[in-house]
Amino acid sequence: MTSGNGQGMRARGVSKRFGAIEALSPVDLTVAPGEVVTVLGPSGCGKTTLLRMIAGLEPVSGGSIEIDGDPPDSARERKRFGFVPQSPALLPWRTVEANARLLQDINAGANPSPLPDVVELLEHVGLGDFCGAYPHELSGGMQQRVALVRAFGLGAPYLLMDEPFAALDEITRADMRHLLASLCEPSNTGVLFVTHSLAEAVFLSDRVVVLSSRPGRTVGVVDVDLPRPRVPELEDEPAFFAIETELRRLLHHGAGR
Amino acid sequence: MSRVRDSATFWAIVGTVGLLGFWESFVRLRNVRKFVLLPPSEIGSTFLETPGFYLDNIWVTARHLVIGLALALTVSLAFGALLAAIRPLEHASQPLLVLILVTPWVAYISSIVLWLGRGTPSILFLVAFVTVPAFVYATVSGMRSADPAARELFASIHASRWEVLWRLRLPSALPSLFTAARFNVGLGLAAAYFAEGAALSTDGLGEAGRRAVAFNDGSILWTTILCTAVLGILGQVGVLMLERWLLHWHASQRRPSR
Repeated sequence: MTSGNGQGMRARGVSKRFGAIEALSPVDLTVAPGEVVTVLGPSGCGKTTLLRMIAGLEPVSGGSIEIDGDPPDSARERKRFGFVPQSPALLPWRTVEANARLLQDINAGANPSPLPDVVELLEHVGLGDFCGAYPHELSGGMQQRVALVRAFGLGAPYLLMDEPFAALDEITRADMRHLLASLCEPSNTGVLFVTHSLAEAVFLSDRVVVLSSRPGRTVGVVDVDLPRPRVPELEDEPAFFAIETELRRLLHHGAGR
Repeated sequence: MSRVRDSATFWAIVGTVGLLGFWESFVRLRNVRKFVLLPPSEIGSTFLETPGFYLDNIWVTARHLVIGLALALTVSLAFGALLAAIRPLEHASQPLLVLILVTPWVAYISSIVLWLGRGTPSILFLVAFVTVPAFVYATVSGMRSADPAARELFASIHASRWEVLWRLRLPSALPSLFTAARFNVGLGLAAAYFAEGAALSTDGLGEAGRRAVAFNDGSILWTTILCTAVLGILGQVGVLMLERWLLHWHASQRRPSR
């Protein structure tokens, strides 16, 4: 797995307007190589827009974005980050293994070497027996696991995740965040994670950026100094609750309540 | 026994036997004239008198149909991909597509023969020409139906236009293309039959039918008609089998779970 050259993903004063509507006030954000940063905020606060601007899928209205010193477009061309959309977006005509390999197959000239072993990753997430299955044969949680493997299979130094577990039930969500932590920790991948779930934010992150409701602005940045590797038992610790409480307070504050 | 009663094939055979029985007895009891309708038993015996004649003509028409459809599909995929990408062009092409769809080909076949000459070129042109609109509509709507989240995923790693077309848009268009293909097999066969009769060609089912009418031979006419119908059924079965194979991942092809 390639790692960043040390500069990380950096957003400086990034803002977004849709016509007359201000969706996002200027926001600063840095994700260092190997660091997991979560953007937490209520629905419609512009957190997904921020992620999409960093991915170069949406133009910025103000400010600048750099990924290891490059603008998003050239980072895309060089496959410097993997994108995990809200829905798994698996291609129904491809098998699980072929889906997991999709990002390797496209724009293959920009692949890093060596590439991660997709089958090994599928085994790690418990889908070793499903390599030849088709997406419609899988449950929602299993589909999202394939989507995670697909992103990690890229071997990119950064991952951008847009509420990937939002559509899953509570039990599956918990499994998925534990699984994601187990994928992130050994890989030294820098992750920008967008969510409205407090538990996900605390469990996964080194740092949580809390946004206010629209137009989103930073109401607080919370460092999560829980020990790594993160294990599921951590969610019963007082320290975990303490950070959750602090985040909840910031969210309420950001909502003007 | 309940497995047999649930089987689609079983009921299709029951339907076929019933239809043939009704047809045969209707023609015999009502004493219908040969030229109006021939009973299936006589169609069978007429066919067996000169099976080579009918098989040759089925083969010729089948070739016209398949090559014509292949031409139409090629043109439609290229044209449709262009229209799916450029919306103004899609709007601008509507009058042409609708015009092709609604104008009866009976009206302009002689102009085509005058332009392209007698025989195969005119026949292939007509088959391809009339089947293009359905294929184009299917291509455009199918390619547009590609999952937006998957499109973003492709964009996030800078997929080329070609990769998006080949790996995402074309497979997304397959289900609607197959629906169009089933419709176009019938349309294309009618066009091939008619064009063969009208394009002064020397063989093909359409030409055999035209001559049977000219010689007032009801037996050959109805045998030719049934051969054309059988060719149409074979075409549908071919499309269906191709669909099973290429679209096994699609919801339409999954067996209902009980």
